Amino acid sequence: MNTKREITSLHEVVKNYGEGKVVTKALQGISLKILEGDFSVMMGPSGCGKSTLLNIIGGLDRATSGDVKFNDQDFNTLSNKALSMIRRQHIGFVFQNFNLLPVLNAYENAEYVLMLQGVSPTKRREKVMHLFQEMGLDGLENRYPRELSGGQQQRVAIARAVATEPQLVLADEITANVDSKTAQSLLELMAALNKNNNTTFLFSTHDPSVIKFAKKIIILKDGIINSEKASSEEIERFTHK
Amino acid sequence: MIIKFLLILKIAWRSIWRNKRRTFISLFSILIATCVPTFFVCIAWGFYAGLVDDVARLMAGHVTYEHVEYRNSPSNDLWVDDIQKINRILNDKDEVLSTKQIVNLQGVAHTAKGAVGVSLMGIEPSKEIEISFLPESIIAGEYLSQGDGRWVIVGTKLAEQLNIKVGKKFVFTTNDINGEMVEDLFRVKGIFETGSKQIDGHFVQSDISFARKIAGLDNNSTSQLGIIVKNSDTHENLLKEWQNKLARNNGVFLSWQQIMPDIATTIRMDRTAVVSFMFMLVVIVLFTMFSTILMSTLERKREFASLLALGTQQIELKLQIFFETFIFGIIACPLGSLLGVGLAKWVEGYDMMNIFEDVNPEDMEIGGFGMDTVITPFFSTSLTLQISISFFCAVLLLSVLPIYLISRISITDELRST
Repeated sequence: MNTKREITSLHEVVKNYGEGKVVTKALQGISLKILEGDFSVMMGPSGCGKSTLLNIIGGLDRATSGDVKFNDQDFNTLSNKALSMIRRQHIGFVFQNFNLLPVLNAYENAEYVLMLQGVSPTKRREKVMHLFQEMGLDGLENRYPRELSGGQQQRVAIARAVATEPQLVLADEITANVDSKTAQSLLELMAALNKNNNTTFLFSTHDPSVIKFAKKIIILKDGIINSEKASSEEIERFTHK
Repeated sequence: MIIKFLLILKIAWRSIWRNKRRTFISLFSILIATCVPTFFVCIAWGFYAGLVDDVARLMAGHVTYEHVEYRNSPSNDLWVDDIQKINRILNDKDEVLSTKQIVNLQGVAHTAKGAVGVSLMGIEPSKEIEISFLPESIIAGEYLSQGDGRWVIVGTKLAEQLNIKVGKKFVFTTNDINGEMVEDLFRVKGIFETGSKQIDGHFVQSDISFARKIAGLDNNSTSQLGIIVKNSDTHENLLKEWQNKLARNNGVFLSWQQIMPDIATTIRMDRTAVVSFMFMLVVIVLFTMFSTILMSTLERKREFASLLALGTQQIELKLQIFFETFIFGIIACPLGSLLGVGLAKWVEGYDMMNIFEDVNPEDMEIGGFGMDTVITPFFSTSLTLQISISFFCAVLLLSVLPIYLISRISITDELRST
C-alpha cells in the first residue's frame, strides 16, 4: 500500500496549440500522479510534450482540457495570480539555461524567492549559506552569473529552487548545458536533497545519466504516456534523440 | 512588503546600469529635454517680466485706477477724484511697492519747424526717479525735479522733429477738462532716448502740478493712479479687493493687461510659440528615450518570464519597470532643471545685441515699447519645479507601453525561445 502523500495529479490532460485546422496536439489525455518524495524522470523524443507537461504541472501554462490538481487545488479554477503564489510557495524550477538574474550575485539569486516570500534576513542568510555549503558554492556568493561556470550557475539555480523547501521541484533538461562530470555532481546533489529533505523532483531529460538516479521513469510519446516503467531499449532510444 | 519593495528597487537600479552607455545616453536625453526648456523659459519669461515691469513703471503701473470710461476714450475730461485718500491707503498696503499720480493730456506740440501730436504725462518727478527707467534714459540735459513748472523732457525723435534742444521752448496746445482749448509754453530740460519710436517721438513728461494747472484739475484729481506692486503675478487677486473697497463711483481698477492689451497679446502669443517649440523638442527627445526604455524591456522578456515562473507577480514586474523609468526621471529631471537655471544664471547680464549685431535696437519692440536687450532671466522656484515635474511625469508615462507589453508576456513562449 502506498502511504505517500499525493502532491500533484493530472487526469486526462489535453493541451493543444493553435486554432482551427492548424492544431498541434501536444498532450493527448495525460493522467499522472506525483507523490511526495518522488524522484521521477520524464523521457521521450523531442517534441513529445515533456516541457509542455512540466509547464502545466508547474502552473506556467494551462491545459486545454482535463484536471490538474496541486495539493488538491484545481489549477483550472485558479487565477494567474493564485497560480503565481503557488509557484512562489510550493514549486521550485530549474531551467536548462539556468535563467539566473544577471544583475544579482549568486547569493542574491539564491535568496530571491525567499525575499518574495518575505523571509527575514537572518533566516534567508542561514538557509542560503547552508545550501551553498552543501552544494559546494562556498566563496562564490558575491560572484555574478557571468563570473560563474555553467555548472556553478546551475548549482545556484538549484539552490534558488530548493531554498524555499518547495514540495515539488521541476527540472527541465538541467544537464543539457553542462559537462558530464558536472551533470553527475548536480544529480548527486539533487538525489541527496531528495533523500535528506524528502524534496520531490520531476525531471525532463534526454540524459541517460539521470536514469540511474530515478525512482520512477515516465516515457512520453506523441503526447501520451507510453509507460511509467521504461525498458532499457526505450531508454537507449530516447537518450540518443 | 518592504523587503519585496527594496528587492524590486534593487533589481531596477542594477538593471538600468547593466548597459552603462545606454543609460548615460538616456539620462543625457532627459537632462537635455529638461534643461533646454528651463533655460529658454527663464530667459523668455525674464524678457516678458522685464518688459511688463518697465512699461508698468514708465506708464500707469501694474494696476491702474482711472475713470470708468477712460479706456474707451482717453480724453482729457475724464478724471478720477479723491485720489489723495486712495493713494494713502494703497501706499500703506504690503503688496504695493509704490504709486504714481498721473495727469495725461493729449495735444499738439509745435515750433516754427512743425507740429507733432504728443501725449503729455504729468508725474511726480521725485517718485518717477525711484520707479521709472526714464530718468536713466536722459542723454542731454537733466531729468525733472519737483516744482519744475513749465520745464519738460522730450524724446530724441520729437526733439528732432520739432528741432528743439535743451533749454529751447515749444508750444503745447490741448483741451482742459471743460473742453476749452488751452495753450502753454514748455521749455526742454532734458532729452531722453528709450529706443522706442512711439515713446521717443510722441511722449512728453512734466511735473504733475503744471499739468494739473493746464488741465484745470485740483490736487485731489488725476487722469490715472498707477500702482506698482511688489509681485506682479499677484495683481489679479488685488484688483477685486481694491475695486470693492477703494473705487469711487466713476473709478475702476484695471490690470496692465487691460491697459496695454497689445503687449499682453504679444506676450501671450510669444509664450505660446515658446511653449509649442519646447513641446515639439520634448516630444522628439522623449521619443528617443521611449525607444530606449522599450528596447531595454523587450530584450529582457525571457528574464521576466523566468522571474514570473519563480513566482514573481505581474505587479512586481510592472513595478520594476516603473522604478527603472522613475530612477531615470528622478535623476535627470532635477539635474536638467538645475542645469537650465545655471545656464540662465550664466548668461545673465549679457547683451543680446552682441549676437544680433545686424539688428537695429529700435526694431526690438513689443507693443510699441522697446525690449531690453540685456538678458535678465526670470528665476522662479515654482516655475522650475513645474517644468521639472512635468518632464518627470512625461518620463513616467514612457513606462506605460513597456508595462503593458510585460503584462501580456507568455512565460512558456519566452522560456522556450533561445
